Amino acid sequence: MITANNMIIANNLIKTFTKNEKKNKKSDFNAVDGISLTVREGEIVGILGPNGAGKTTLLRMMSKLMKPTDGMVSIRINNVEISDDIEVKRHIGYLSNNTKLYGRLSTRELLQMLGVIYGISEEDTKRRIDEISEVLSMDSFLDNRIEKLSTGQTQRASIARCLVHDPQVYIFDEPTLGLDIISSAAIVDFMKEERKRGKTVLYSTHYMEEAEYLCDRIIMIHHGRIIGEGTPKELRMQTGHDSLRDIFAGLIAENGGLESDMSELDKGLTGKRRARR
Amino acid sequence: MNTKMIRTLVKKEMLDVFRDKKTVIMMLIVPVVLYPLIFIGVMQLMTFISSSMEKQNYRIAVEAEDEGRFLHKLEAFCQDGAQAAEEGQTDDAVSSTEAVEKTAGAATGAVEESGEEAEEPSYEITIVDADSIGDYETALNEEEIDVYVSGQMKDGKLQYNVYYLSSVNNSSYAAGLMKDVCDELKEDMTRQLLMEEGMDAEAVLEPVSYEKQDIASSEQSIGSIMGSILPFMLVVSLLMGTMYPAIDTTAGERERGTLETILTLPVTNRQLIVSKFITVAVIGMVSALLNILSMGAIAFYMYKMLEMQTDMGSFDAARFLPAIFVCILTVFAFSLFISAVAMCVTSFAKSYKEANNYITPLMLVVMFVGYIGFIPNIELTQTMAMMPVANICLLIKNMLLFKVDYAVIAVVLLSNIAYAVMAILFLSKIYDSEAILFSDGKAGLQLFERRDNLKKGGVPTVSDVWFVVALTILLVLYAGSMMQVKFGLAGVFGTQMILLLVPLFLVIYTKRDIRLTYGFTGAKATGYLGGALMTVGLLLVNLVLSAGMFVLFPESMSNLETTFSNIFGDNVAAVFLVVAVAPAICEEMLFRGVILHSLKAKYKISSAIAITAALFGLYHMSLIKFIPTGLLGLILCIVVWKTGSIYPAMLMHCINNAISVLVTYYPEQIGKVLPVLNKSSFSASEVLCLCAAGGIFIAAGALVLNKTKNVAGEEKKS
Repeated sequence: MITANNMIIANNLIKTFTKNEKKNKKSDFNAVDGISLTVREGEIVGILGPNGAGKTTLLRMMSKLMKPTDGMVSIRINNVEISDDIEVKRHIGYLSNNTKLYGRLSTRELLQMLGVIYGISEEDTKRRIDEISEVLSMDSFLDNRIEKLSTGQTQRASIARCLVHDPQVYIFDEPTLGLDIISSAAIVDFMKEERKRGKTVLYSTHYMEEAEYLCDRIIMIHHGRIIGEGTPKELRMQTGHDSLRDIFAGLIAENGGLESDMSELDKGLTGKRRARR
Repeated sequence: MNTKMIRTLVKKEMLDVFRDKKTVIMMLIVPVVLYPLIFIGVMQLMTFISSSMEKQNYRIAVEAEDEGRFLHKLEAFCQDGAQAAEEGQTDDAVSSTEAVEKTAGAATGAVEESGEEAEEPSYEITIVDADSIGDYETALNEEEIDVYVSGQMKDGKLQYNVYYLSSVNNSSYAAGLMKDVCDELKEDMTRQLLMEEGMDAEAVLEPVSYEKQDIASSEQSIGSIMGSILPFMLVVSLLMGTMYPAIDTTAGERERGTLETILTLPVTNRQLIVSKFITVAVIGMVSALLNILSMGAIAFYMYKMLEMQTDMGSFDAARFLPAIFVCILTVFAFSLFISAVAMCVTSFAKSYKEANNYITPLMLVVMFVGYIGFIPNIELTQTMAMMPVANICLLIKNMLLFKVDYAVIAVVLLSNIAYAVMAILFLSKIYDSEAILFSDGKAGLQLFERRDNLKKGGVPTVSDVWFVVALTILLVLYAGSMMQVKFGLAGVFGTQMILLLVPLFLVIYTKRDIRLTYGFTGAKATGYLGGALMTVGLLLVNLVLSAGMFVLFPESMSNLETTFSNIFGDNVAAVFLVVAVAPAICEEMLFRGVILHSLKAKYKISSAIAITAALFGLYHMSLIKFIPTGLLGLILCIVVWKTGSIYPAMLMHCINNAISVLVTYYPEQIGKVLPVLNKSSFSASEVLCLCAAGGIFIAAGALVLNKTKNVAGEEKKS
């Protein structure tokens, strides 16, 4: 394996939750069930999986928001392994649907506050805000209260939040969900740009085309386990399917299919099946 | 801790809270607008009530065979009444304004009080011709007349019967007036009879006279009025002030989904909690100070009005300066306490609505305890000074009555701060748990789960135990101490039952393993031996310690000794049962059972033991008892840990307490057998000897315990 300066390694991660079953019964289940993966410097790795596959839990554990029940996540920055969880957070930009922004603050206020928290000097923060604002074209709404922004603007503000401290690693949980084509294209381009600058990106998505276009490697997970892994090319070779969509469907069928006890999962995929027809 | 980080976080929280209209309204509008409005409203109501009372006209029918004496007197009375009415009017205005000041803001109270005081109104009396009304009962019922008086001569005496309707206000008031008329008539006639007999009427009728002289300064009278109201207002307004920021920074943050965002930042939980706490406490203080200012302004306005109307005597506001200073300090201390508590409650909630529901019971409890200022004769004792909310109210009351005790002030302030710190530590613990943060995963508080969902077995979760311990301590503090005052020994037994039953309910309700939770496993003889050795060793060390305490705090120590026999009485068997046997079972089952075992399951054994021992020391609620009882707790914990059984600890606890019972009740006999137990001062060499002997016993006990095979441990291995 090639050793890079920066990377994230997950080793046999397990996260156990207690789940409500139909009638007042609870049982433990593993949302993430023994996942090991490595993301190298300058790589975009996409996590694909149906709803309830464990993507969010996996990414939360990778970014130290959640403690794994078992297994470990280690992060190396400039060849130094960082063990302190708080220190790790300094090098990660994490974004998900659940990371909402403070609606009563303006984007600029928010970014300034983050600058102090990340320990960046005032001038550097100011310069950084100008840069980000230009890259994400946020000038027009930088001083508006976040609660007044549109969905696309809010998402851009969210991304700006992850950029203040110029992290080495980005962990994005479905960053393009629910965005229009232009907004999501902006985000996809942004990730590509960051890769060029040597940044590492780990992100999850539902959109196959986007993953195919963007990712160096794709990891498919289902029921908390990895069911397929590799570059798009490798995956095609492995499965014999041509489109990522077919690969995905094929792998899921091989691994117990969709007859899942998770109703949410069913709902999510009937939609997708229809879309394929 | 990184102050810059905390400053930034506080700034963010402040911005966030102050840009929320709800909070600002609660903070500003209520004190600045609502209180004066209520005040003006009450004033209006007051003038309305007193003006409506003025024009009362009582219609009276008199039918008496008394040569017109009664009627004559009544007419004279009417003229007097008319004069009194004019005086009464001014009196009336004063009393109603006083009533307003007393209750400044508490509208209902003001109305009631003023109602009572304004009941000395002016009135007119119309004498109705008795012949014109026919049947008096019908006339009364149809309210043609308010009262009917009939009088006959009976056995040489005049007998008046006054008929009225107690259900009609005017009627019963007029009946009261008729009594006054009769009294005056009676006095006149007595006087006349005495004069006829040639006696000095004054000397016979009033051999004794008395007059009340109020020597309370106007400051003291105002202080006593303020003392019952101000604490309540303060406590409630502080809670109101902290409520919304507490909800906003905890449940609100989760509802808006920003909690996960802040978790991605390099911020520790403690920094997060501390900054939220500072925000809530500061906002609480500001709103409380606004409240005080607003109330103060109203009170000042009232005072000025009074000054214009009446001659109140000199009033020196400067005398209240110490009270005001202490009030402000307590506001700070209490705002720390109440914000921490409010945040503890609200952080369990997932939304604003839920948090509001959770905070309502807290509000009720605080209001209920805040009423303590209105209850006369509750003294601020050392124990009282540690009771949250009640201590603040009593302290402010005392300060306004110019009763100053610096030790008690210190205890009140420090205990509030200590409780706040404890609550914050608890909060940063629960904020650490994913159950709270992500609201999935395993719930920390099983107590609020559906019982069907709970799995059997194991020991209670730490959150459950904290919750139940807090509940138990509150119950012991309030219900327990009340029972002890009222029922003495039986009350002490009742307190022990609280200690036993509340946690037991938790254990049974959450379907925990009783044997595991309480350590109901057999212990080997060596376990008992080791425990006994350590207990004896500690007893020796504690002798020295309590002698030292006696030197440091002579008064408290002798207080401690006298209360023991005073409260418990002479029935030694009963005392033995309640003081030695009951705690050995109940306290052990709580501390060395539920608390120790659940802590042990989560934390390192050393911290589990340390926390349990400290709690046990604190539970005895006395500064001087803390160290000896804490040490006892420590040793009992070690015994339980090493033997894996609670029985040796129960026995040791029983013996330890039994010895103090014996020393109290049979000092002479004990003196003969073990003179050392009776001594209260020791020479340096004796201290050394005792400590050395104690140390040797403890070490020997520890050695024996270490050799003992842990029964529970063996089971685990096999």
